[in-house]
Amino acid sequence: MEQKQSNSPASFIDSTVVPGDVVLDLSSMTNQTVKLGGGLRQDCDAISAMKAGTLRFSKPNKYWVESSQKRNFLIDVKGPAVGFLPVLAFEGGTRRNIPKFEVGTLLYLRVVKANFGMNPELSCTDAGGKAAEFGPLKDGYMFETSTGLSRKLLSSPTCPVLEALGKKLSFEIAVGLNGRVWVNAASPDTIVVVANAIMNSESLSGAQQIIMVEHLLKSIQ
Amino acid sequence: MEGRLANSWRLTVNDKNFIKTALLSEIRIDGRKPYEYRKIAIKFGREDGSSEVQLGQTHVMGIVTAQLVQPYRDRPKEGILSIYTEFSPMADPSFEPGRPGELAVELGRIIDRGLRESRSVDTESLCVLAGKFVWAIRIDLHILDNGGNLVDAANIAALAALLTFRRPECSLGGEDGQEVIVHPPEIREPLPLTVHHLPIAITFGFFSNESILVIDPTHNEEAVMSGRMTTTVNANGDICAIQKAGGEGVPQRVIMQCLQLATAKAVGITKQIKEAVEVYNTERALRKIKRHPTSTSVNVREKQNQSIGK
Repeated sequence: MEQKQSNSPASFIDSTVVPGDVVLDLSSMTNQTVKLGGGLRQDCDAISAMKAGTLRFSKPNKYWVESSQKRNFLIDVKGPAVGFLPVLAFEGGTRRNIPKFEVGTLLYLRVVKANFGMNPELSCTDAGGKAAEFGPLKDGYMFETSTGLSRKLLSSPTCPVLEALGKKLSFEIAVGLNGRVWVNAASPDTIVVVANAIMNSESLSGAQQIIMVEHLLKSIQ
Repeated sequence: MEGRLANSWRLTVNDKNFIKTALLSEIRIDGRKPYEYRKIAIKFGREDGSSEVQLGQTHVMGIVTAQLVQPYRDRPKEGILSIYTEFSPMADPSFEPGRPGELAVELGRIIDRGLRESRSVDTESLCVLAGKFVWAIRIDLHILDNGGNLVDAANIAALAALLTFRRPECSLGGEDGQEVIVHPPEIREPLPLTVHHLPIAITFGFFSNESILVIDPTHNEEAVMSGRMTTTVNANGDICAIQKAGGEGVPQRVIMQCLQLATAKAVGITKQIKEAVEVYNTERALRKIKRHPTSTSVNVREKQNQSIGK
């Protein structure tokens, strides 16, 4: 492969580079100690760009490539396409404190953009940039329902099944419009009762839901 | 890459931990006790030998057909029994169309072993002309929905279909008695198969913490459990087959416990299958009566007018 004629580094600083451009030639530089930031790679004496972006320089000897590409987490949102969660979409998120999620982490997210044919864009902050209860959910149990039922659960005034359960049990839930519901409580049998009550209330009217909940609660006492 | 992600269903970390912690207090996510079976619903189609079994969310269809073929050379007086499984992609996103995967082959083998080794279906009565013609019974199992524990549901579907299947009656004829005449069902009533006993498959799931044992695991529990075992027993207490393919090792006393539990469950399930078959048979008999109207309708008015002489 032919190596391009390396130009003097000054001509590349603050200009656009693409992967493969040789931006620095160490043999032709006076000060051979150079700090390389992101997007640059050393091949013996030649420093070449690995990302497309603008080459930046800060005194005395730091070089890096700045780009507006976002790194994303790929999130399953139970839709036709995988959702993108930018790694910086967290409260106080910077390149230095990117959260590490293991595969299978459950997250409560806000959908920023969802257009036809594109992957939906998600965020762990509200519109003002605050965390506001978004983010990873710890413990508890997640189950799937229809989107109609999740809308009923989120409606106000409170859905009858949640009200009836809330009178006797204490639990916390997070309901997603995509049909995923997360329940957490102090004891496992409370979680199981709440989950089964919600799953059963799919096609029941308000009064039937209250009767069903009473039935369930009596059977566990 | 995203297409592949869509096909791989995963349990969240929360669910995996919850299933295990809940089992420590003997609670299962659908509210069952550890040794409780889900509700079994057995339905039959219009044709003889077609059954549909629902075990909770799991849905399996069984169809039995028969054909006259040449017997195997080393068994000239016995009929042939074969089982085919079809794991439809609509049952589970991980099922691919085409060649049966490992799970499909294993399921077919377990049911086949349960029926064949225990000699529950009498193959000698399937012989028509020794060495020339025998009945080959083919059981097709279609998995319609995977809600966990496909083996047990498929086994019940196979048994229900076998019990309601009727094969045409045939007799030997021709000059030298070597010709087989198959009588159509309208002329001669087709015959049921001879089934000596019903081998019921009961599947157990093992979890690594505190050696917890559950019967009839659901789809979510199957993703978390560390081992499984299927025991095929009948209501008399005979052990027809045991299948434990890999997974966590279990001590001998746990296996004995499983066999005792399985025998107790098998009695209940056998009763349920027999009752459902009874209902189907009575319905079938009633249908046959309606099928042949022997009286022709008479117009009473006309007869009256004729007698009056108008």
